[in-house]
Amino acid sequence: MAFEPRIVGFLCNWCSYTGADLAGTSRVKYAPNVRIIRVMCSARIDPTFVLKALSEGADGVLICGCHPGDCHYVEGNYKAVRRFAALKRVLRAYGIEEERVRLEWVSASEGVRFAEIVNDMTERTRKLGPSRVKPQLMADAAAR
Amino acid sequence: MADRKLQIALYWGAACGGCDVAVLDTNEFILDVAALADIRLWPIATDGKYRDVEAMADEELDLTIFSGAIRNSENEKMARMLRQKSKLLVAFGSCAHLGGIPGLANLFDLDEILKTAYLSNPSIEPGNSTVPRPHSEAGGHALEIPQLYPRVYKLDQVVDVDYYVPGCPPAPAQVKAVLLAVATGHLPARGSVVGASDRAVCDECGRHKAEKQVQKFYRPWQIIQKPEECLLEQGIPCAGSATRSGCGVRCPNSGMPCRGCYGPLPNVKDQGAKILSALASIIDSRDPEQIERILDDVPDLVGLAYRFGLPASLLQRRIGA
Amino acid sequence: MAEERIGVFVCNCGTNIAKIVDAGAVTQAVKEIPGVAVARSYKYMCSNPGQEMIAADIREFALSRVVVAACSPRMHEGTFRKAVEHGGINPYFLEMANIREQCSWVHDDPVAATEKAKALTRAAVLRVKYHEPLEKRSVPMCPATLVIGGGIAGLTAALELAEADQQVYLVERQDRLGGNVARLDLTAPYLDSARDLLRDRVVRVTRHPRIQVLLESRLVELKGFVGNFRPTVKTAAGELLHLEVGSVVVCTGYQEFDAARVRQYGYGRLPDVVTSFELEVMLRKGKVETRAGKKPRHVAIIHCVGSRSREFHPYCSRVCCMTGLKYAHEIKSAIPDAYVSDLYVDMSAFGKGCEDFYKKAAEARTLFLMYEKNHAPEIRLAGTDPEDGMLITMKERLSGEQIEIPSDLVVLMVGMEPRSDSDEMAHLVNISRDKDGWFIESHPKLDPVATTTDGVFIAGACQSPKDIPDSVAQARAAAARILAKIDQGEIAVDAVYAEVREEYCSGCRVCNELCPYTAIEYDETARRSHVISAACKACGCCVAACPSGAIKARHFTDQQIFAQIEGVL
Repeated sequence: MAFEPRIVGFLCNWCSYTGADLAGTSRVKYAPNVRIIRVMCSARIDPTFVLKALSEGADGVLICGCHPGDCHYVEGNYKAVRRFAALKRVLRAYGIEEERVRLEWVSASEGVRFAEIVNDMTERTRKLGPSRVKPQLMADAAAR
Repeated sequence: MADRKLQIALYWGAACGGCDVAVLDTNEFILDVAALADIRLWPIATDGKYRDVEAMADEELDLTIFSGAIRNSENEKMARMLRQKSKLLVAFGSCAHLGGIPGLANLFDLDEILKTAYLSNPSIEPGNSTVPRPHSEAGGHALEIPQLYPRVYKLDQVVDVDYYVPGCPPAPAQVKAVLLAVATGHLPARGSVVGASDRAVCDECGRHKAEKQVQKFYRPWQIIQKPEECLLEQGIPCAGSATRSGCGVRCPNSGMPCRGCYGPLPNVKDQGAKILSALASIIDSRDPEQIERILDDVPDLVGLAYRFGLPASLLQRRIGA
Repeated sequence: MAEERIGVFVCNCGTNIAKIVDAGAVTQAVKEIPGVAVARSYKYMCSNPGQEMIAADIREFALSRVVVAACSPRMHEGTFRKAVEHGGINPYFLEMANIREQCSWVHDDPVAATEKAKALTRAAVLRVKYHEPLEKRSVPMCPATLVIGGGIAGLTAALELAEADQQVYLVERQDRLGGNVARLDLTAPYLDSARDLLRDRVVRVTRHPRIQVLLESRLVELKGFVGNFRPTVKTAAGELLHLEVGSVVVCTGYQEFDAARVRQYGYGRLPDVVTSFELEVMLRKGKVETRAGKKPRHVAIIHCVGSRSREFHPYCSRVCCMTGLKYAHEIKSAIPDAYVSDLYVDMSAFGKGCEDFYKKAAEARTLFLMYEKNHAPEIRLAGTDPEDGMLITMKERLSGEQIEIPSDLVVLMVGMEPRSDSDEMAHLVNISRDKDGWFIESHPKLDPVATTTDGVFIAGACQSPKDIPDSVAQARAAAARILAKIDQGEIAVDAVYAEVREEYCSGCRVCNELCPYTAIEYDETARRSHVISAACKACGCCVAACPSGAIKARHFTDQQIFAQIEGVL
């Protein structure tokens, strides 16, 4: 039985969440592995959310915002870029594979693109295998 | 106050001894403590033995002040024993509170650490292959030493903790405040962080704060600082905005950036994540490549963000081999 | 926190959800979650009985929170918030789980889709426990309106508002009103005079006491929010005019496709290949002539220039087919013995009176020749001298033959495209553009004149290619929406915004420069930062940056999001 990754997706209300809805109204099919949480802007994404998702057992985390220059809140997505750049370095130090946490730009009209991103990320995460973060945390706790 | 003297213990796990020195740094106050209390165990200063503690009744101790993290089986054994024998167990100092600097070991495998410490560094005699092991034989005698755990734990990941006193070490004034609080019974809700404020260091820091936008980060020695201005604004990564105050701002007042030893603010789950978010948010650039170059100015981002709190963070440690 | 009593309502949406997601299983699964007092499934949650069910259950089971697992919240969050309010609790005590657009409609595997629906619903249940009662804030609604663009849409919107006795500022970049319609002679299908149509409007607008017309002017900045916008307009004299309006209507229209880009038509090289607009100039003068001054005997009209094309624009420009027929009529009127050929791909005669118009054109002996999309005809000189005319080569589809058509004058029906400054305009007023560059409406079917930015409306061709009747309809629709808001006097602004909890703020000022709306101010005396809630748009950027977690994103708190993270995994 193939491993089914569980990926948490943080989508911004104006562009990417709407794009994902468009994939729905267009009946574009994609892998069921991403569970979406809506935020108003990708700038709302605190690196803490990514770490929380990983610690709760997520095999991957997908953050989607508006394309640079098109943020509904002017430049929220640029703030997401900066935070993500810093977070990536720390994730590397924690030994989390880079492909498990991704930042992508999806506009309100890009339903197909959203589907493609979900499918691609699902496959890449599947190849990486289950994240060992939560099992390791649980084993650490059980050992004491 | 009861007629009988308070029964207290002070113990150290994976520690440097600085917290014990902080208690001693209260100077004459320690004499008041001696008058108030019987110190039943304090390895740095008195002669109590483990078997004395084993012989105590449950909750015979009114208070145990536990500093240091949990790194080996001895630390854990004593943490559990003291928990059982104490009414109140206080996690004292960054190591007990958050894992502390020893917690940075969680970025490495135990094998890597032992290899570096005992086998392959310049001060080891060539050919040495001795690495500490829990059980060994020598000259017909069996030797048991505590077992090193694969990772560092903070105190409350092993036993229930009643109060936390943050700091590396806690400021002497806070030490006094805590001891007096216990002595007089004026304690806040169980589980509280005591001896620290609910606001960040910036609240106590006298440096002037203005708009924060940096285009470059500097090590403290790379620039001549302006002593009246916020360090972060000058490009020196300071964790003060993400760290509880109560320490008296000793570091920024001495020209060094806050390192975060008092730990996260009450509404924050992962202090390192907030330090990262703050640093990243003030970078004045939209260009991904430039952003990377600016971050490169900080040689050890994870060390900066998690200097004291890696075991307390959400991920707690690197994925093991 | 007292034990919450949560009601969960799982919609079947007919078969839209139920076909793939086992709504019954989701309902059962959710009953296991502590705090769920009632869970049920229903055919159409958004229907009246469905909404009544929610309200009734709130009262009967003393529910304190409601979860509706159904379509996207962007569809029906408003509907269910009202239902919840009707049931007697705060409307923000609702959370939706999107198990349609983001689940049943996009997954084929019923087992996986149902598991995902369970997870999404669980996340909503865990989150809703942390919802707080929020009150909508009301801000006064400034009754003035800024209309950008003085073409047919802009003129119509301005008049509609002014006739209702409201103040309008009409900003037009050119030195005259009328836009693209002012370049026309007659309109299809009834061959009315565009000039007459427009003159009436222009005169009424120019004379109206409630309309301030600003010609040769441009919008340079738009600050504020719905009901309270502060636009800055640069006037012809170069000065900056600061206005106060409650609404903005964008009617910036379109520009025509550059025919030179279709090289095989020879526009720009061959003197007698002209665009539709160039023909209009001739028609208004009353003289249809070749460059050499001769009356053309053979005129060809080519449709879909730059439109419905893989290479240029994929969309249909909507008006060109009927305009092409209009030219067939007008040319025949001007030159009764001319031969008119109409080279088309499809004849789009969808509007009122248009099929009849098509029939009339055929009766007037227009020769209709069908070519294949993406296989455009080619035009070349018949001889060496342009006065010898041109030859058009094409593959005629109905006969299947490769033919050559002689022409003295070729009219290219150039399509519509978004204006080159539409990107700048979109950024100025904070709206988005779709993949073809047209402004995006709030909902393509149900809300075509509003945008995602409250208080900013779009009307006319700037939203997508359309004819005069539709432009006028949209302009009037936008005006009606604005008048309704003015009538209410106040705008209910969303209760979702960020607020600084002063007891945790250390005055570090990390947040201050981050706000794109400059909604954060710093109090030098108190040494604390503060969010101006009326200006806050709730992006949450300051919240994520705050190193003390002192800023709270109402309705998107850390606690609520953590609960969702736990719920989905």
